Amino acid sequence: MDTLIAAAAQSLEAGDPISALNRVALRDDAHGLALRGIAMAQLGDLARARELLHSAARAFGPDEVVACARCVVAEAEIALVSRDLDWSARALDDARQTLETHEDWNNATHARYLEARLLLLTGRLDDADSMLPRRDPAHLPPTSRATHELVVAGIAMRRRQAASARRAFARAMEAARQAGIPALLGEIENAARVLNAPVARMITEGSERPLLLDEVEALEASDTLIVDACRHVVRDTHCEVSLATRPVLFALARALSDAWPGDVRRDMLITRAFRTQYADDSHRVRLRVEIGRLRTELRGLAELQSTRQGFKLIPQQAASVATLLPPVEERHTGLLALLADGELWSSSALAMAQGVSQRTVQRALDTLQAADKVQAYGQGRARRWAIIPVPGFPTTLLLPAPYSGG
Amino acid sequence: MTPSTANVIHEYSLADVDSVNGVTHDGQCVWVATGERLIAIDPNTGKPLRSLDVTCDAGTAFDGHHLFQLSGDKIHKVDPQNARIIATIPAPNDGLNSGMAWGEGSLWVGQYKERRIHQLDPETGEILRTIRSDRFVTGVTWCNGELWHGTWENDQSDIRRIDPQTGQVLECLEMPTGKEVSGLESDGNGQFFCGGGDVGMLRVVRRPQ
Repeated sequence: MDTLIAAAAQSLEAGDPISALNRVALRDDAHGLALRGIAMAQLGDLARARELLHSAARAFGPDEVVACARCVVAEAEIALVSRDLDWSARALDDARQTLETHEDWNNATHARYLEARLLLLTGRLDDADSMLPRRDPAHLPPTSRATHELVVAGIAMRRRQAASARRAFARAMEAARQAGIPALLGEIENAARVLNAPVARMITEGSERPLLLDEVEALEASDTLIVDACRHVVRDTHCEVSLATRPVLFALARALSDAWPGDVRRDMLITRAFRTQYADDSHRVRLRVEIGRLRTELRGLAELQSTRQGFKLIPQQAASVATLLPPVEERHTGLLALLADGELWSSSALAMAQGVSQRTVQRALDTLQAADKVQAYGQGRARRWAIIPVPGFPTTLLLPAPYSGG
Repeated sequence: MTPSTANVIHEYSLADVDSVNGVTHDGQCVWVATGERLIAIDPNTGKPLRSLDVTCDAGTAFDGHHLFQLSGDKIHKVDPQNARIIATIPAPNDGLNSGMAWGEGSLWVGQYKERRIHQLDPETGEILRTIRSDRFVTGVTWCNGELWHGTWENDQSDIRRIDPQTGQVLECLEMPTGKEVSGLESDGNGQFFCGGGDVGMLRVVRRPQ
């Protein structure tokens, strides 16, 4: 490898694509193409970056496996930040193994982070966690250290562990300052902002207030029965019941929790659960049936006590009851939560991250577009969706996250 | 690893030049940015071939035919054959320009402090788009133990090759005492061009084969 390539590579590592370009802009050999691609990615022209990396991968000979693998990793990273999630995770995994075999540890580690970030985006937190390198990150270059801590912070936030997320962000900042790359610092500052904005609302004893992620964490550790409208679960510190597939039962639980320690009249429960203003005998029968089902579901968590005019919630283990709500109440919050990262998403990537069909996502996007909440760019396969920014629409709690109690 | 003495094949002192801010190689000559002049030097003889009186504190770019020189609130497009300014276009004036490059048909002006990068039309200077650089994309590294850089410590300078994985110095070319290295540039063919920092000096160092 010649000195121009080396010097350009060095500039890219320091986050200075302008200097790198001044050395390789006129070169069409494989290494030159690859570095032009990485420079374009750092400058923000992701489409051109992909083309260049693709040409570079083709220009490398069959014996240059390491260089080819690096191109695959760089392309995967661009796809990830472009929110094109239908690229082959398999190809990235193969590339990582090639890099590990040839002892290109820095890039192999980088590939691991990309795999972890993809898993994080699709809500597979435990898999993301186990993808992180087991080596002490202290031995990594500062850029990799910052990336490592960003992934750790992301996992902690999705698990609602604000304190450990805060510590990981602080370590990421420290590493980014050592790396001296403004773009990296900016990325971490943006990601950490979530910690200082309300992520939810809480209703308890008839009053409502916004909560920070730290307060959500404290609430979940406290002696409270929580009816969580972000994830559609009812839980206390001993156990958790998901009502995600039982919307009627959840609506009842939510109505009872909002009113605690008071009770809720039967006609109110009918209105809330069956979305109807006119209650006749058949509705009352249905209500009795549904209340019976909810009793069964909440066994061990709470009792449903009948009162003279309706029902009330009596927690069995916890001392009090609270409802946890998204900061903005509306349908499709999960979709908006994904889009709130400010990236341009393809509908297939949204479907993949949400774990639903593309048709479902498409219908939701059409509804949100009609309501001026999202906008579309481009046509056909290249169509991308972005959120129309609403100040203070934070998101972490609405993202799909399998809860690990512990 | 024993340090070797740098093989300084040429040492050109530049008349009326106090400091070298940057060095660019256009395939034939070396362009030295000196603050108030841009000077083209023949690397084989050290003779200044052409010079241009423009402020050049940061950013010289080359598109294969023309040089672009960032000069305050303007960008001069220069014909390297005769050092004439062919066109002058406006430079972004909304922040501190940290450098400029030509690439993929556009000019790119980085404002790293403001975390912005402007993409300019090289013909008109029109800002095609402004990209917020608040995300670090691709930490894929490309150094195969070919990491050269100049150091300057206690009046002693050297050019060293480092293993990017371990930081171990693999090769070290010591410059004679008191000869500072600033603006290390290479022609890609085994020659380094080093600016002399606060001394108006251009040195050509041969890379060991």
